[in-house]
Amino acid sequence: MKLLDMTKKYGKATYKYPLEPYEVSEGFRGKPSYTYDNCIGCTACGVACPSNAINVKLNEDKTKLVWEFDAARCIFCGRCDEVCPTGAIVLSQEFELAVKFDKNNLKERGELDVEYCEVCNKPFTTKRLISYILHRLEKVGWDKETLGEKVKYAKTCPTCKREEKVEVITKYLKRGTK
Amino acid sequence: MKIGDKLINKVKEKITIHEIYRQPEDQITITVDRNDLPETVRILYYDLGGWLSSMIPNDERQINGNFALYYVLSMEGGKMTPEDELPQDEKCWITVKTFIPANDPTFPSVTLKVPAAVWYEREAYDMFGLTAIGLPDPRRLVVSDDWPEGLFPLRKDAMDYRHRPDPVDHKDEPEAKFLKPEGAGVLDVPLGPLHITSDEPGHFRLYCDGDTIIDADYRLFYQHRGMEKLAENRMNYDQMGYLAERVCGICGYAHAIGCIEAAEKAIGLEIPLRAQAMRVICLEIERLHSHLLNIGLACEVTGNVNAFMHIFRIREFSMELAQLVTGGRKTYGNVVMGGLRRDMTGTEIKKSLELLETIEEQTKEVWEAVMDDKNQVDRWKGVGLLDKQVARDFSPVGPNIRGCGFKRDSRYDHPYDFLTQLDFEIPTENGCDVFARETVRYRELLESVSIIRQCFEMMPGGLTVIKPQTMIKPGAYAIGNDEAPRGENIHWIMHGNAQKVYRWRCRAATYNNWTSLRYQFRGNTIADAALIVCSLDPCYSCTERVTVVDINSKKTKILTYQDLKRYSQSSKNHPLKNM
Ligand code: SF4
Ligand code: SF4
Repeated sequence: MKLLDMTKKYGKATYKYPLEPYEVSEGFRGKPSYTYDNCIGCTACGVACPSNAINVKLNEDKTKLVWEFDAARCIFCGRCDEVCPTGAIVLSQEFELAVKFDKNNLKERGELDVEYCEVCNKPFTTKRLISYILHRLEKVGWDKETLGEKVKYAKTCPTCKREEKVEVITKYLKRGTK
Repeated sequence: MKIGDKLINKVKEKITIHEIYRQPEDQITITVDRNDLPETVRILYYDLGGWLSSMIPNDERQINGNFALYYVLSMEGGKMTPEDELPQDEKCWITVKTFIPANDPTFPSVTLKVPAAVWYEREAYDMFGLTAIGLPDPRRLVVSDDWPEGLFPLRKDAMDYRHRPDPVDHKDEPEAKFLKPEGAGVLDVPLGPLHITSDEPGHFRLYCDGDTIIDADYRLFYQHRGMEKLAENRMNYDQMGYLAERVCGICGYAHAIGCIEAAEKAIGLEIPLRAQAMRVICLEIERLHSHLLNIGLACEVTGNVNAFMHIFRIREFSMELAQLVTGGRKTYGNVVMGGLRRDMTGTEIKKSLELLETIEEQTKEVWEAVMDDKNQVDRWKGVGLLDKQVARDFSPVGPNIRGCGFKRDSRYDHPYDFLTQLDFEIPTENGCDVFARETVRYRELLESVSIIRQCFEMMPGGLTVIKPQTMIKPGAYAIGNDEAPRGENIHWIMHGNAQKVYRWRCRAATYNNWTSLRYQFRGNTIADAALIVCSLDPCYSCTERVTVVDINSKKTKILTYQDLKRYSQSSKNHPLKNM
């Protein structure tokens, strides 16, 4: 009998969900939301993601860097949010992820233009990443002139940079032995 | 004199110990000869008051050319009487280690002397091909009956983790062997096969005389996912915790903590105080929602749907609490080596304290109402008795053993970090039946509320995570323990090269409870079978379908899930009456 009294006392305990929204708390960790315009393709999120929900890879003909997110693999840990330098990916309050019939609807994609190495002409990063770096350097007080000199360096791929370094050093050492 | 030395000296009187190795101070590994293994474990178990907490077979051929076995004993006293307990500062873990040469993978079975080892030794064969000589029950345990002979998945050279042996054609599938009593009039009642209300499959065979169960056997592991193999040599520690979490959908957090604690203990890593406190909070939140779930189901199985609904209404508050603390309705996706990913704000703490108030008040209210219902209490009392000696022999854990009057709790026996600063009781009951177990759960709910409150009140400031710069030592190993809602979880981790795990052994609480379940079934009626399984809280409460075979007349009758459930709830109109 006591149980029936309790039912009276507390009344309705259910929501009319989904006809009425379910409010989540402020710090809720929901589906990561991606803002294409902010993404610079640095791949930090892809490296940090423990469940491989995010993959950042060159496409087949190496003309675009493809950022891809699969909500079905996401465990909402928020590591991507933590490492993204531009806030392009942040956890949202969204939790209604179900899709009908086609699992591809769980995926999100962004294609970024790639930058080619000034020396070997191979694609190695995105245009946006280069301009992001230059922009940051400008912000910390580098003047236009020094920056101009550095553009070539920024647009050289790591392999070529390494080779260039080796070349310089060997030259230097050879001079030393003479 | 270090902790545990007294016990070790007693072992030394009878056994030659080759090596003593300490990871953390209270985790001692002693190496003995293969032939001394059963006697050493027996001395520690029965003479010195140990309980078998885990057994880890390990393929160390790459390291030293041998296989190794590690029998982990929790030294805490036999606890058959209240005096029979070790003093707090002498409790420790003693691991008995022995090497098994690669060219002769056998060892003398410990089960003959310590029955609790039976499942572990069956598993050692399935996974590593290590044969326990003299093991009374050498059937397969983990791998399926059609698994290829001679393929031992956890051997390092056995197979790629992606490899799936071809399935055997349905008609060629071997029959699983069940242990069964012989005799006229014995009814064979399979409960199962798959899809039990909650989430896990399992197949039970009940042998009945009329309505009374005289024996039972079961076949589990239908959902073995090969997580240990998946983690080995592949996963880094950022991923490990999240994988461990997925062992269970209810008490996954306790697994994440166990796993990460083991990895941290192996290298002696101290995490920030604030993270320690929050880990305890999350573990207790998990206990809240899990115990409420179980008490609710124990009501529902017996037909008390009204109480079930009320308990679930309260359970919703604990999910909201989890949302405040971790940002998700479950406490998942938070544990990393070195601390926790997410901090809490002051407002969140304040709101949490209010929620706790509600949970406490309403839990008391609903429990009182349930106790008021004589029918309900009668269905729980005297059912599923776990004999004290059986309990001592099989090392069960959690509310299952605390309902038999044993004060066994990982938080109390082996506390660490923030737990040592808290003030809490370990409830025990002496009924040994379903009623005792549910009462223990109810009293633990109130304790959990108090623990969470203390943690919030004493919450230290500072960071919640440090980067474990000290880094991994290959070959170092340790135990990580915690008290999950269902009992003690034990994880054992041996570090490997390149920031990867060499061996991860995860032993969930329920593993230790299954072996004694058989005895708990005996003497009860079919109507109570579902309730008994439910009171262990192994994530099952009902059965989908039951086939009843009358051995005498060879007649069969298939009961649907609804039939059995109805009978279980109402105890009227016996479903087998017309057979
Ligand atoms: S929230 Fe975690 S799992 Fe999901 S995409 Fe981000 S890093 Fe990956
Ligand atoms: S970390 Fe941020 S900027 Fe970098 S690839 Fe990911 S979303 Fe884009």
